[in-house]
Amino acid sequence: MIETMFHIDTLDTSAAFLAALLIGLAFGFFLERAGFSSSRKLSGVFYFTDMTVIKVMFTAVMTALLGLTFVVSFGWISMDRIYLMPTVYGAHIVGGLIFGVGFVMGGWCPGTAAAGLACGKIDALIFLIGAVIGSALFNEMFAIVKPLYEAGQQGVVMVYDSLGMSPNAFILLLSVAAIAMFWGCEWIEQKTQNAKIPGNRSVLNVITVLLLVLPACLFIIQDGSAGGSIPVGNSSEAQLLASVEQAEDHIDPETLADQLANGRTDLIVVDVRPANEFTRFHIAGAMNVSLKDIHTALLPYKNKPMIVLYSNGMTHPAQARDSLYRSGFRNVYLLTDGLDGFIRQCLTPLSLRNEPMSTEMAQKIIQWRQFFLAPASSSISIQNESIPLENPLIDPQWLQDHLGQSALKIVDLRPQPEYNTAHLPGSLAVSPENLRTNINGVGSMLQPADMLARHLSLWGIQPTDTVIFIYGDKPHDATLASMALERLGHRRFGILNGGFALWKTQQKPLTTNLPKVSESVYPVSQQADDFTVDYQTILKHMQDKKTIIIDVRPADYYTGVKSDEARAGHIPGALNRPYTEDLVKTDEILQFKPIEELQKAYAQLIPSLETTVIIHCRTGHQASQTFFVLKGLLGYKNILWYDAGWSEWAARPELPTEK
Amino acid sequence: MMDKQLKKKTLFMNPYVAGFGLGLTLLASFLILGAGLGASSGIARIAACTELCIAKAHTLSSEYFGKWGNFPLRYYLVFMLAGTFIGALCSSLMANRVRFQMERGGKSSKTLRAAFALLGGILVGFASRLANGCTSGQALTGSALLLTGSFIFLICIFAGGYLSARLFRRQWND
Repeated sequence: MIETMFHIDTLDTSAAFLAALLIGLAFGFFLERAGFSSSRKLSGVFYFTDMTVIKVMFTAVMTALLGLTFVVSFGWISMDRIYLMPTVYGAHIVGGLIFGVGFVMGGWCPGTAAAGLACGKIDALIFLIGAVIGSALFNEMFAIVKPLYEAGQQGVVMVYDSLGMSPNAFILLLSVAAIAMFWGCEWIEQKTQNAKIPGNRSVLNVITVLLLVLPACLFIIQDGSAGGSIPVGNSSEAQLLASVEQAEDHIDPETLADQLANGRTDLIVVDVRPANEFTRFHIAGAMNVSLKDIHTALLPYKNKPMIVLYSNGMTHPAQARDSLYRSGFRNVYLLTDGLDGFIRQCLTPLSLRNEPMSTEMAQKIIQWRQFFLAPASSSISIQNESIPLENPLIDPQWLQDHLGQSALKIVDLRPQPEYNTAHLPGSLAVSPENLRTNINGVGSMLQPADMLARHLSLWGIQPTDTVIFIYGDKPHDATLASMALERLGHRRFGILNGGFALWKTQQKPLTTNLPKVSESVYPVSQQADDFTVDYQTILKHMQDKKTIIIDVRPADYYTGVKSDEARAGHIPGALNRPYTEDLVKTDEILQFKPIEELQKAYAQLIPSLETTVIIHCRTGHQASQTFFVLKGLLGYKNILWYDAGWSEWAARPELPTEK
Repeated sequence: MMDKQLKKKTLFMNPYVAGFGLGLTLLASFLILGAGLGASSGIARIAACTELCIAKAHTLSSEYFGKWGNFPLRYYLVFMLAGTFIGALCSSLMANRVRFQMERGGKSSKTLRAAFALLGGILVGFASRLANGCTSGQALTGSALLLTGSFIFLICIFAGGYLSARLFRRQWND
């Protein structure tokens, strides 16, 4: 089997650049040979004076199509190794119409203009300059054009599927159409120019015969192969259809309910409904992914044993499943009858059912109802009473009063030896560094939602739980951990003000026993994080001047006197408010300053609660504390967090700095 | 003059043979790169590079060009575009076809032809980004892959072209 550079992801290497250059060489050579270095000849197709464009183009399409189809049917390559462009109805229709007008107006298209330029055509140069301007115009207008650019996204759609034909039948039809077009072109040219190019007809005769014989061969090859696989384009397409026919791609609601209720964790359940419907109710443990993002969101699970897609009905998941299959996913299943079916089959209470039922089944339904309905709706839950928090900064007495409740989870962020010596009863030891990883080359980034959800599952935390963080000598360890919850949309958390030191001073209960944890299935929410920003967003905000950037690093680093990064200084226009200013230390106990004091201090920096504020430090760690103060304690509404921070900014030489 | 034109004509390859050659090139691209041919991406990358030179921060923060980063030219289709130019140069030198000239009808003005070429270029540049490809990357490549969107794009190119062809006929009048 041939491996392509696209498939092994080496299109950005110099080997690929060289290959592309050589392929381009042949491309340009044949374009020029065909006479496409002349705008007059190209335009001729629109005035019926010179039909070369159609002849060359369709011969090329048929050659590549038949060539590829045979290569695939010999098993030398499969279609998932080739990049297939998704269909976008709006963009392709409007784009095509505008392109057609530009083509006949300018007399060139991009590839032929490059050939024309090589031939010394000045109008080709002008056209290319126009195309550069047009591309830049598209970039500048992207905000306006975006809805059209995304209008009618279908994913990868094959034309024979759209027409409801078999691939081979379509290829035969296209061949016949090509033959008709070729002879039609000859006839038109004879009428309009009375000139006949010698030798043309004999080549056309050969082409005609080949275009009839080769597609017919495809039918024969197909009959010959025992499995009856469809050789078009791809044997995987045939496998897809075969698996659809045998309903191998479905999982019925009862099986899914059984597997989830029995705690199977390698099963990825994906809800493709809109976020608001997801929030209202979803199958416990499901993650919410929009169809638009499904390829990227599911990529990490490509090798998991099973991904189950569901929506209310079946259509959307089925389309998504086919699209994923074409991208090489072989583990995607549909929930039979969707969420509607799941609720009907598994969650309808026994009292509302008419059909006779075995005791075993009845017990299962009771078990399922407990499992799937309990955490989602508080009215049904009995033992899992949720604990409201008035203020995210809590005191030791409140915490002591709530110790032992199942909806209270305590997370201790001190180093392991200190935890092992003594900790709060029921508290879990977690290192804040374990919540970070390298993203896009920047180390120390908070992990993506799916990874964080996995952590929370292992810690036994459920979305309805109240989580309390305990810090040692760094309150920003607690706030960094709280960013993980923010990213998942989990707002019910608090921080013990004064940390472990205050708890110990007040002689509250301590233990050395490990907590009992039963693993949960924490749902992944991809939409909750609307506050983490990248450097591009900062550049954008820097232009509108209203946004405030606060650099919370120590003053020496802000002014550039000290530096342990690629460059010293700060982001132009950024204010400095070191995170340590928000804390106060009395008798070795580090606490947040009183709210009134913080309010006064920040009112001098930020004009209103609505102002957009970007917080950053070196790695995002200290900034998480200021984020917590502003958003959690003081109620600022538009606080953004530049997680990558100065580590990234300083290391990108193109970004502006000042001292 | 007549002789020269006749000579030129004979030097063009038979269109079906040239089409066969192009088709084999496209097939090679599928098998080696795993992606088809492309030309407009290279042009857009040049546009991004130009914008970067003029307004760096603005370009990096823009949603479309911004994601190509600091070095938009490090992309395989930029090299393919360069190859296309060199390949065409070889062919035209071999055929002795290199002439500095503005191609137009005998009766049409240079200004009109230049204006049409520029405006046409702008429309094509814009439309290629909208449709994620041009005659090479969508129409030719996508049709050979039997993709629905590419067929729609191809049909719409010819629809747009034939419907508006009369408006631009003047530039070719002899």
